[in-house]
Amino acid sequence: MTTTFTPRQPIWCAGCGHFGVQAAVIEGLRALAIPAHETAILAGIGCSGTMQNNISGYGYHATHGRVLPTATGMVVGNPNLTVIASGGDGDGYAIGIGHLIHAFRRNPSMLYVVMNNAIYGLTKGQPSPTAGPEEAPELPLDAVQIGLTFPSSTFIARGFVGRPAQLARLMREALTHVREKRGFAFLEVMSPCVTYNDTYPLWDAMYTDIEQEPGHDPGNRVEAAARCARLTAEGRLVTGLIYRGTGRTYESALHVDRVNTPAMRGSAPVARREDLGALLDRYYC
Amino acid sequence: MSTPVRKTLDDVNVMVAGQGGDGSLTIITLLSRLLGARGYHMFASRNVASRIKGAHAAGLLRGATVPRACLGDHLDILIAFDSEAIEVAGERLTADGIVIFDSSLGDIDRTRMKEGVRALSIPFGRLAVRDLRRDLFKNSLSFGVLTRVLGIDDDEALACLAQHFKSLAPAARDANLLAARGGFDYAGEQGMERGKGHWTLARAQAGKRLLMTGNEAVGFGFLAAGGRVFAGYPITPATDIMDWLAPRLPKFGGVVVQAEDELAAINLGIGASMTGARAMTATSGPGLALMMEGISQLGSAEIPLVIVDCQRAGPSTGMPTKPEQSDIGMIVHGGNGDLPRIVLAPGNPTDAFELSVAAVNLANRLQCPVFLLLDQSVSQDSATVPPFDIDAVTIDNGKRLTADEVAAMPQYRRYEITEDGVSPWALPGTPGGMNLITGNEHDEWGYVTTKPDIRVKMVDKRARKIRLAADRLPRARRFGDPGARVGLLGIGLELGVIQEAEERLAKAGHRFECLQPRTVWPIPEETLEFIRSHDRTYVIEHNASGQLAQLLRSAGAPADKICSVLRYDGRPFRPAELVDAILQGEAAK
Repeated sequence: MTTTFTPRQPIWCAGCGHFGVQAAVIEGLRALAIPAHETAILAGIGCSGTMQNNISGYGYHATHGRVLPTATGMVVGNPNLTVIASGGDGDGYAIGIGHLIHAFRRNPSMLYVVMNNAIYGLTKGQPSPTAGPEEAPELPLDAVQIGLTFPSSTFIARGFVGRPAQLARLMREALTHVREKRGFAFLEVMSPCVTYNDTYPLWDAMYTDIEQEPGHDPGNRVEAAARCARLTAEGRLVTGLIYRGTGRTYESALHVDRVNTPAMRGSAPVARREDLGALLDRYYC
Repeated sequence: MSTPVRKTLDDVNVMVAGQGGDGSLTIITLLSRLLGARGYHMFASRNVASRIKGAHAAGLLRGATVPRACLGDHLDILIAFDSEAIEVAGERLTADGIVIFDSSLGDIDRTRMKEGVRALSIPFGRLAVRDLRRDLFKNSLSFGVLTRVLGIDDDEALACLAQHFKSLAPAARDANLLAARGGFDYAGEQGMERGKGHWTLARAQAGKRLLMTGNEAVGFGFLAAGGRVFAGYPITPATDIMDWLAPRLPKFGGVVVQAEDELAAINLGIGASMTGARAMTATSGPGLALMMEGISQLGSAEIPLVIVDCQRAGPSTGMPTKPEQSDIGMIVHGGNGDLPRIVLAPGNPTDAFELSVAAVNLANRLQCPVFLLLDQSVSQDSATVPPFDIDAVTIDNGKRLTADEVAAMPQYRRYEITEDGVSPWALPGTPGGMNLITGNEHDEWGYVTTKPDIRVKMVDKRARKIRLAADRLPRARRFGDPGARVGLLGIGLELGVIQEAEERLAKAGHRFECLQPRTVWPIPEETLEFIRSHDRTYVIEHNASGQLAQLLRSAGAPADKICSVLRYDGRPFRPAELVDAILQGEAAK
């Protein structure tokens, strides 16, 4: 047996919400029996950007805010991998928000798990785009509601580390969505920073499971979006499987072949000479 | 100065100019077919504004019986669809030149032309609308006049036109043919009857040649080298590469991804590269500036990627459609930290093809960013070159590991410190090869570290792989007089004009040896040796600060042996301009 890197212990503070997110990822991979060598875990910059060091798989540490295009590139290069992009709310909603919009548009089959603690922890406590009006001059953004506005989004859920059983289930659902190549699974996890923004009691009090709401149908985007907007306006923290639908995936739109991926073809011999040569026909003068 | 009246042309320079959308480029394409069939070597350029329609737009074509890879000094024929075309280019006409002027909107202004220039004023636009109901037929009308001027037979001209418009509806095609006949008639009235042109074209040695742009050749090279994922964001003058690959790459099992911005483009490339797909992105200066963080990441995390920079005039948005070589500093020094990189600079479509293949292989062998440094002229001007040697293309994936190879290793460390600085590479999906890739400083396992000894070893390892590969990087093109004491040196668009200037200088008894470095970084020993071994070397470049000369000096080229010849007005040198600049420099010595 070849020795390769051994997953490390997390660097997070005792009580950090990210422990719960990582446990859910590991449990989800185990439950779906996804082999480590088929798993690619990409992380952004910040406290959350270290999860790849702690889980067996192919790990990558992206530049700040760029985890989504990088992960999309991996899906395009080899759609047989289970690609997990992870990061924090600063990484994903501030410097990287532009890419989130386009990930919803493209719908590549991969998981994006955002650990939202409404703060920049690693740089010691600056407000993030999800910080409340008391902490920042701007009002917070809500990525779940952003995602719901895209006709191309196919999986939108929110969990809370304070409800580990629900989080584990949402993670399994999200990974199933990815594994079955149904598109972009967006899972935001409320994951408090105990050092700079301990929101456990606040979020616990606001917690609402949309799936317990009478009449909630995760297959109905319009109703789900309306319900989500209403509950949020009432000051609730909306969690659960909010929307799940079907749509064209990015890799299928690009006709990326899972049997013969661009990655595999890249290492194969060059294309047939006559096929290449034919491309030059129109240039002969 | 009087120019002898010529009967036969062996070097013909034609410009077709009007407003964008006039169809100037169509006439250039048609003429290139006719000259190509005669075995002419060609160089074609366009002069356009950064807008879709309107504003002065021109196509230029030079055809010669010997290889010529730049625009000529003068124009023999100017087809002017408006008076602005005369303002812009009238002075370039030789004394025995011909201007074919569309007089629909007024008379020609002769003050801007030499006395001997013959003007054929024809209301093309008006005639086209009157007889054929569409302004656009003025192109075929003027093409008819042009072919008569050059003594090309009417049947050949009509066959060329019919071939070009073969996909048009029959009625439209016939209208174009009718328009051309109208042109013949007019030329006949001016004394240029069938088979009796103003000039005749000299015979040229026939040969199988390609007429294509550098951008097209880069795209073809990528495809031939097993390139499979191209990620880009539209930007002039790089967009052609993406546009060329978009319909073709999928047929070879690849994918073109249009990103939301350059930040996404480079990171899509990083992601694709990490799966083992051979990947490329292409941009121009402003986009390259946005990509710099990703480029630094490629260097630190040891990920292969080819980055094409089609330089345009800067700074900032600059002049998007004009050539410059002012990204040299950014491409060699840009990105935070000391990172390994290679920069290759093609000077013509042949180079663009060969260096594109080399770049893909080098990136994968050395696991680092490899740049292709073009400029707007090399990117977008067309030139005739010999057929590409597709059989010479090989695929080098470097130290990729199979699952069996991984299984046979007691330990697998992604960033193993090796003698040649390159670490074995297990792709995601390979059983047992799980690893960590990061731009943070790391140890051999990929764990983040700040330990001073490991840090130094890793920086040295990454530098070593470039240093040890240096003697296998693409060699320079060396030409001219090997015994000359004075050198001419330039990259990219300077190649064609240096070749012609050297020829002319040699005929006048001035001896020069020339070097076109095709590897810009790391600076090859042959480049430095060239400068050391000549009394002085003119370093010719398109920027205001002498970026290439600065780079050479910083690498140890003797400063007192370098004479900079700089241009930054957005135009290429014409051969006579470069000859003058060199002779002025020599006179001052």
